[in-house]
Amino acid sequence: MIVLNNKSKNAPSSVLYRRCTIDLAIQSVTFEDVPCRNLEDVMGGFGRSFQMLAERKIENAYCPENPLIVNTGLLTGTNIMTGLRVYFSAYSPLKHSSKGLPAAMWSAGSGNFGSKLKWTGVDEIVFENRSSTPVYAVISENEAGPHVSLKPAGHLLGLSSHEKIMTLNKEYYDAHFAAIGQAGENYDNVSMGAVALSTDNQLKSGEDKCRFAGRGGMGSIMGYKNLVAIVAQSTNKLGPITPEVRDANKVIVKGGGSARFQPTSQGGGGGTWANYEVLQAFFAVPENNFRPKGNDVVEGLFRENVEKSLDVHTEACFRCGIRCHNNIFQRNPDGSRGEFIAKFDFEPLNLFGTNLGIHDGMQAAELIKLCDNMGMDAISLGATISYVLDYNERHPDKTMFSGATFGQFESIRELVVRTGNGELPDIGHGLKRLSEKNGETAYAMQVKGLELPAYLPETNPGYTWAIAGGHMSMGTHMLLAKEGKTSLDDWVAAITGSGLLQVGHDMIGLCKFVGIGANHDAIVSAIKSTTGIEVTSHELGQAVRRAYLRGLALELRQGYADEDFTLPSQVFDSPNEIVTLPNFVTSEFVGELKKRIWEIFAPEMVGLLPNSDKHFGKTKD
Amino acid sequence: MQVKVKLFASFRLKWFKEADKECLQGAEVLDIVKGIGISVNELGIVLVNGCHASLNTVLHDGDVVSLMPLIGGG
Repeated sequence: MIVLNNKSKNAPSSVLYRRCTIDLAIQSVTFEDVPCRNLEDVMGGFGRSFQMLAERKIENAYCPENPLIVNTGLLTGTNIMTGLRVYFSAYSPLKHSSKGLPAAMWSAGSGNFGSKLKWTGVDEIVFENRSSTPVYAVISENEAGPHVSLKPAGHLLGLSSHEKIMTLNKEYYDAHFAAIGQAGENYDNVSMGAVALSTDNQLKSGEDKCRFAGRGGMGSIMGYKNLVAIVAQSTNKLGPITPEVRDANKVIVKGGGSARFQPTSQGGGGGTWANYEVLQAFFAVPENNFRPKGNDVVEGLFRENVEKSLDVHTEACFRCGIRCHNNIFQRNPDGSRGEFIAKFDFEPLNLFGTNLGIHDGMQAAELIKLCDNMGMDAISLGATISYVLDYNERHPDKTMFSGATFGQFESIRELVVRTGNGELPDIGHGLKRLSEKNGETAYAMQVKGLELPAYLPETNPGYTWAIAGGHMSMGTHMLLAKEGKTSLDDWVAAITGSGLLQVGHDMIGLCKFVGIGANHDAIVSAIKSTTGIEVTSHELGQAVRRAYLRGLALELRQGYADEDFTLPSQVFDSPNEIVTLPNFVTSEFVGELKKRIWEIFAPEMVGLLPNSDKHFGKTKD
Repeated sequence: MQVKVKLFASFRLKWFKEADKECLQGAEVLDIVKGIGISVNELGIVLVNGCHASLNTVLHDGDVVSLMPLIGGG
């Protein structure tokens, strides 16, 4: 980013970001310094990329005109804790409206790729068109500035995401990598391809400890473009730690917000894994396709039970003081730590464990590893497979995919592998398409064409207002369990207020686990000290709100209508009385919620998209 | 009077899973939390007899108090 001194520091146009446009069809590269149009451009991430997507009318995600935008946030690559994020944006092959049009999506990930990319001097890469042959892109730096080359990638085809990264690592010093797995290569049969991002830990240990930008099929878009991997090669350019940054990091690491993710040995909550036990207290852990049974088999995946046979090691991302993730290793006969298997977070653990009727840590870990290595989104694949198992249990005489049902590990494993290899397109293209093809949508756990994360839909009507994944773009998934809120007023306030502000992290370059908002005063001070840009907390909050509403407006423009803004009908028609949380999410409640929320949002959405205000009138009625 | 206290997740590992606690008439949930030594900043969910409650909820003899740490998604 370049901050001009000859203009007001409050003017977004005084900030320029460096965009690199790579036309994969003709292998041309263009660099330009682009003045920011607004604070969303300055912040970056989806706040900027969605403005470019809004300028294009895309009816099929797999078309040359659909750009893949890879960018960073304002604080990516800085000393502010968790400032590692990189964003992949495009019209999604997976998320789509009932009219069949692809939705604009972004997916975020950590690892060190984002920082390296920024340190090459590039803030944003736009991949246009598609290459006629498989290539990988190398973004490096030289004395003249950033430099790009496209290289043949035939030798990488067929390798897992981890294998691709380790192969490239042998060739490129001081670099980090983004790569797809086999699933992305098989994009025509797999719409849920993820992008794997390398970590320092992975490159040093050789263990497959990638991070993933998983949601929405951005890896499949890379596959369509014949872009197999991206290399970001640069020296490290972390600046000095200013007093303001040090203060912000103290707020992050010692504040209550991040404490829940710290290891139990440090007095923390033990990462997202702790959700298991807390949600089980309400019988609200998704089990057998989001249908808790009220039994104790769920406890098989409690940490203390997994630790009986496997070694659990708590680790952090590069230079992060929040040791949020729990890496699972085999345990050798002598009790020492054995081979690395997988990383346990709540989502993949549940969606490849309890929700598939798998209650054994080793089996869940193996499924997660397979999904990761083949480069698929764990949420989308896990939720789609749970639907398949549910369907087969309901139709023992008319099963699909060899009849696998809950708990059948070997059969489920085969479904994962075959989906990644492109052999099961009905699974690979996601739950909305599969359930509509079957004519049984009631228990398909998706909203707006994107599979639900591991929180029951009957506990979160906010899912309908998420714009890029149920729990990452609308922060209401824990509201009921945490606060017991069931009134319309409370849910309107949450969705139109604090809930949507969650997407601010996906603009500014920070992880959601910082535990403070992107517009927190400590972040405001840190922005000024690291970039020289002066903004207020209010201005940041307003920019986040506009970016969210622009995403919502884009949904409407892509054909999302009233019937898309709902939950799986099983929630209304067959409430699960075993869940002890209040049962308040009726179709009437959701209908009234929509009415109230559109009354607030619709006027604010006018003018956010180019030449498209007419779209808002269509849906809000 | 006496109430039953149930702790979950990291609280259970640090203190106990379930215990009966003596308290004075008119005691609030906060008194129980302080008595155990749980930091209010780490407290995520409070239930009294299975219903969400606040730190200022007044307790009665025989109540069941459930305390859970902050949780987060991801």
